[in-house]
Amino acid sequence: MRPGRRSGLGRLLLAVLILGLLFGCAGGNPAQAASTGPAWSALTVAREVPLSFATEFSLTEYDQGYTLLNIPTSGRFLIVPQGAGVPRGLEGDIVPLRGPLGRMYLAATSAMDFFRALNGIGSIRLSGTDVNGWYIDEARAALQAGDMVFAGKYSAPDYELIFAEKCDLAIESTMIYHTPEVKEQLEKLGVPVLVERSSYEQDPLGRMEWVKVYGALVGKLPEAEALFDREVRAVEPLLDQPKTGKTVAFFYITATGTVNVRKSDDYVSRMIALAGGSYVFPDLSSGSALSTVNMTMESFYDGAKDADLLIYNSTIDGELFTLEELLRKSAFLKDFKAVRAGNVWCTGKNLFQEPMGLGKLILDMHRVLTEEAPTELTYLHRLTGGVN
Amino acid sequence: MEKRTRLWIGFVGLFVALLGLIVWNINAGSVHVTPGEVLAILLGKGGDGAIIVRGIRLPRILAAALLGGALALSGFLLQTFFANPIAGPFILGISSGAKLVLSLTLIAFLSRGVAVGSLALILAAFCGALLSMGFVLLISAKVKRMSLLIISGVMIGYICSAVTDFLVTFADDANIINLHHWSLGSFSGITWGNVAVMAGVILPALLVAFLLSKPISAYQLGEVYAQNMGVNIRTFRAALILLSSVLSAAVTAFAGPISFVGVAVPHIIRSIFKTAKPLVMIPACFLGGAVFCLLCDLIARTAFAPTELSISSVTALFGAPVVILVMLRRQKENL
Amino acid sequence: MDTYYLHTEHMDVGYDGVPLLRDIEIGVSRGEILTLIGPNGSGKSTILKSMIRQLKLLGGVVVLDGRPMADLREGDIARRMAILMTERLRAELMTGEDVVSTGRYPYTGRLGILTREDRAKVREAIALVHGEEFAGRLFAQLSDGQRQRLLLARAVCQEPEVIVLDEPTSFLDVKHKLELLEILKKLVRERNVAVIMSLHELDLAQKISDRVVAVTKSAVDRCDTPENIFQSDYIEALYGMESGSYNALFGSLEMARVQGKAKAFVIGGGGRGIPVYRALQRRGVPFAAGILWENDVDYPVARSLAAETVAVPPFAPMNEAALKQGRAMMDRCERVLCCLVDFGTLNESNRTLRDEAARAGKLLSLENLSDLWTGGESR
Repeated sequence: MRPGRRSGLGRLLLAVLILGLLFGCAGGNPAQAASTGPAWSALTVAREVPLSFATEFSLTEYDQGYTLLNIPTSGRFLIVPQGAGVPRGLEGDIVPLRGPLGRMYLAATSAMDFFRALNGIGSIRLSGTDVNGWYIDEARAALQAGDMVFAGKYSAPDYELIFAEKCDLAIESTMIYHTPEVKEQLEKLGVPVLVERSSYEQDPLGRMEWVKVYGALVGKLPEAEALFDREVRAVEPLLDQPKTGKTVAFFYITATGTVNVRKSDDYVSRMIALAGGSYVFPDLSSGSALSTVNMTMESFYDGAKDADLLIYNSTIDGELFTLEELLRKSAFLKDFKAVRAGNVWCTGKNLFQEPMGLGKLILDMHRVLTEEAPTELTYLHRLTGGVN
Repeated sequence: MEKRTRLWIGFVGLFVALLGLIVWNINAGSVHVTPGEVLAILLGKGGDGAIIVRGIRLPRILAAALLGGALALSGFLLQTFFANPIAGPFILGISSGAKLVLSLTLIAFLSRGVAVGSLALILAAFCGALLSMGFVLLISAKVKRMSLLIISGVMIGYICSAVTDFLVTFADDANIINLHHWSLGSFSGITWGNVAVMAGVILPALLVAFLLSKPISAYQLGEVYAQNMGVNIRTFRAALILLSSVLSAAVTAFAGPISFVGVAVPHIIRSIFKTAKPLVMIPACFLGGAVFCLLCDLIARTAFAPTELSISSVTALFGAPVVILVMLRRQKENL
Repeated sequence: MDTYYLHTEHMDVGYDGVPLLRDIEIGVSRGEILTLIGPNGSGKSTILKSMIRQLKLLGGVVVLDGRPMADLREGDIARRMAILMTERLRAELMTGEDVVSTGRYPYTGRLGILTREDRAKVREAIALVHGEEFAGRLFAQLSDGQRQRLLLARAVCQEPEVIVLDEPTSFLDVKHKLELLEILKKLVRERNVAVIMSLHELDLAQKISDRVVAVTKSAVDRCDTPENIFQSDYIEALYGMESGSYNALFGSLEMARVQGKAKAFVIGGGGRGIPVYRALQRRGVPFAAGILWENDVDYPVARSLAAETVAVPPFAPMNEAALKQGRAMMDRCERVLCCLVDFGTLNESNRTLRDEAARAGKLLSLENLSDLWTGGESR
């Protein structure tokens, strides 16, 4: 019966082990390809890929064919062209990727759309979402055909499968930071991890500009740039048009009854501005790095009661089709101006998975703001029914 | 001697089951590796298969065995301490404290956009668990009846949940999803480093528990008689709380709170060995917990591969009916 | 005080810092049985629990084998003092023998494994309490009496010099009460053990104790031999008995006397009167008793239960004066019962009274005793 001593010993042992691990576990990629390429310092910059709206990444093309992708807070990745060697003396934090990548594990659902637009779905070998979770037809088809395989969700991936398939890159969303052991384990198995940050772009067109990142990964950067320019040109006419002066609220109601709204400088609010409306909450922001705020129904009522247009975000909860369904979520909405006028719209569930379509969404919003009864919209539908 | 043979059969059976499950587990997975190759790999062969078998499967198997054993042992200690058949490893609020500090850490780091390493999360959960334990130790020094500690455990659970929910209202929906996932427990992603630390904490605890067999068996008669037989009740109480908490904390830190193993396994072992003697129960529960957890983890990761079932749902599925059955049979025997 | 094996000095006991009893000085020597008696709630259990360290002392010291208990290590105390308290033992899946073997705890090694010698001592202890038959069964399935005996065997296994028991016989039937106390007596005689216990059964306490401690609600009142403690008035006062009485000679209790004018005159003696006295008391019929010698067996019961008693000093003849008294009492009563069948030369007076009653038509035969309370008129 000497328990005091044992806990002391145990703690000491634990401390020593932890210290050992802290210094021993530097992570990093064991997939060190032999450095057979030119000296890193000898590379010359061909151009900095011009970015019109995006701020969360930068792309640098080198004369020797290499492309450096820099995502601050996520890491730097050097895309090594086919046949070339990894440059010698590469700085420690740059992760070399053997391009063009063709066996990727995609656990960030929002990135799939970019690959679709680039005809690059074939480059994805493993998916973090099962066939029923995809709205993108091509992805579903690939899974059904067996060209793409489900490898478990991001928090508990099937490491054996990923390793056996010799994935050359894992694309994760920032959710992976909640389960750091997954990232560490993947890196240990030799699979580099890219944490994509497209959802952190404040400008919606900046979000769409991430198509260039994925284009670079699969060796289709020129196509990506062309695609992007086309979409921007479609939206450009809107920028000259006068503001409609109408206010718009974009929200959904959580399971606990609070209202989740976008912040004032979030990309949705900006889309509304681009479309010609103004976001109903002009200065809503908090110190955290999150894009939405949960507010009480009271505050929402206060701020959005007189909004001209309500758009319900269906990505979390499911689509609504009638005003009655909306009022079942909260009866207070009955008094809202937009509800009484029948100006309530809902997004399609596929919105979250189609960032390439943001341009079209802006156009949709513009039509909703300017036309009386717009039809054949891509991403929005009006809630039917009346309120008495 | 019927009792002796029962012991022999029981232990041999447990060992065989353990070995069998280890072999089964090491051969099961998404990637097909032939048993012959597995053997070669275990004997030192390298290559791709080796990374899967030695790098992915083996640490996970060892973790499931160690943590399963720790859970069962902790459950046994607490059931003895409280003379309560449904006491489990988290009855003192250990997992609630862990969850609280874990969510604090996650929220603190992520809201600032800073990444946090897995080691930090493990330490956070462990610290939270030990905090709960410290609180319980303080209370145990003040109260006379130890059953009050169960109430304090429940209270700790409620307080921690309340604080966690309070913090989570300021966080993104994404955070909420993940803590729920953590609460169900998982052996996914365990590394050799993790296994080393686990072994370093759990195996000494097992040894100490075994060396405490004598005072534990005295305690089984009740505090009054235990004291008369020479057990220092104060020190013993603290030792038991400390031991069970460290065991539960280790599990919570590496795999999250896994339910039912700690409650069900001691009962199963008791009905197999027909004795409650700590000299038998301590090693037997540890082995039994390892077997139980290995079986459940096997099912969790292979039943619907590549989707992983949460380990707690599998253990509950097996554990609950077993506990009910065992209790019904004991009821019949005792009366 | 130096001969005491276990004694207290200025001991204060109580709960939560509030003293219940103060300045207690009691002690027991080896080869002696000390019994605590006293009403419910007086503190007997509190005293015992404090002496075994289950309760914290609020003041004073308990001295064991010449040293204050606070200075002794747990193991030393365990080898000297064994207990049998009222706590229910929770012994799941343990046999009777398993429970008894726990008594060897202070003598076994690190892991508590029993040696052959230990096992022999366990068997010896079980034999002492005549428990061989049931020791192999599950403890939880045994009767109270069997359990109590095994717990005593357990205490014996500890090879103590003093055994502390708290109401060891409370749940036992008559046979087992006697058995248990016999075993205790044997232990004391053969192994020179000191025994300190509390008992509710006054008759047994009177018969088994070497010394008795009377504990009242406010203090430890007296510590003396049973002869001095077990006096009717003292016991009745100690327990606050308001109805009923205590017979110190036999250590027995009698129910309360029926109040009122005597309805029947009971002629008794030699033990024959007692059943009738008790039957009448049960039925609430006040009666008078006589003529009895003061050393007759019926006399103490008559004194307790009868409204009036006619008595004659021991070994003296029943003279005219007594006869007159008896006659006068008989005249005052409605009926007369005669319990005696034979009469001797010395109690002719009783025969006379019986005949007189018969002639007067007052004599009621014992078969018709029930007439007295049903009001029947059988002859």
